[in-house]
Amino acid sequence: MTGPGEAGARVRLAPGYLRPAIVLRDAALVVLLGAGIALASNALRPSRRIALVASQPYEVLVPCPEHKGTASPLSPAEARALGPGDVLVDARSAEEHRAWHPPGALWVPFDYLEPVSREGLGRVLSRRPRRVIVLGDGDNPDSGEQLARQLAGKGIKNVFFVAGGAPALRGGSRGTP
Amino acid sequence: MRKLLDWRGHAWLCLPARLYLGFVFLYACWHKIADPAAFALDVATYQLLPLQLVNLAALVLPWVELLAGVMIVVGFRTRAAALLVAGMMVVFIAALGWALHLGLDMSCGCFASASEADPISGKTLLRDGGWLALSLYVIIFDRRPLGLDRIVERTTTSTT
Repeated sequence: MTGPGEAGARVRLAPGYLRPAIVLRDAALVVLLGAGIALASNALRPSRRIALVASQPYEVLVPCPEHKGTASPLSPAEARALGPGDVLVDARSAEEHRAWHPPGALWVPFDYLEPVSREGLGRVLSRRPRRVIVLGDGDNPDSGEQLARQLAGKGIKNVFFVAGGAPALRGGSRGTP
Repeated sequence: MRKLLDWRGHAWLCLPARLYLGFVFLYACWHKIADPAAFALDVATYQLLPLQLVNLAALVLPWVELLAGVMIVVGFRTRAAALLVAGMMVVFIAALGWALHLGLDMSCGCFASASEADPISGKTLLRDGGWLALSLYVIIFDRRPLGLDRIVERTTTSTT
């Protein structure tokens, strides 16, 4: 390092604490010091102590994603008479879809805790639908209505859901094959 | 570029940026240190870390925030402190981006526990992006930081 007394010195080296290697070393030391203080503090405060490793998963309560779009109900009779350009989307679980689904139905499962996936959205849009009709489980709330509102919230036009869901569309009682 | 880097005014421009960043971090770490269990729940809510690391992160992170905050305010090892601030901002932005991607309607947990209203949004990302930019400015341009670093430097050079 050049001192102020060195006349004519033009090159001024950066102080040690500004050099990249020293900066990285100092940052690492601070993290280590912070970890040490954190562990000591945790050990010395019985009332606020937490286990270093959680033994059980946290019960994370996150509100469901907000469904902003609006979707209209379609009667089962209307849903059975789909025209060209109409895309039927099955929002039910994999098991329910495997057990029965209308021919040509596109499976895009609905999850109350996660928004519709980009891939699922892409599959719906790839059909260039004139109308999207979502088929849910018919429960209250109906997964079909929830997914339909999500799709509408994503900007898809003409989104409907089958009133009563899959049980109504099949015309039988729920749960029967 | 060399001229820009060597401009002495950066130290004076960086001073308010450092004070602002430092006090933000000192304010942010307070509730996390006071109530590590609540902060651990905040960390878990992001669903980013494996369960084994949630409590450890919740314990260590606030103390690193405190140390980095004090260091950047008083100007001690300023660049290292700014690097830590920038690193933490990158982590926070990644966590926020992940939570927004998942569509989680949750509290940020940045300055208060999850029970209090501080919902995450694009604005939270922008705010953190601004703080990241400030810390990068300090890292890159604050070559002669005002504060303890400069005092120590003067003392050592005058004694040699």
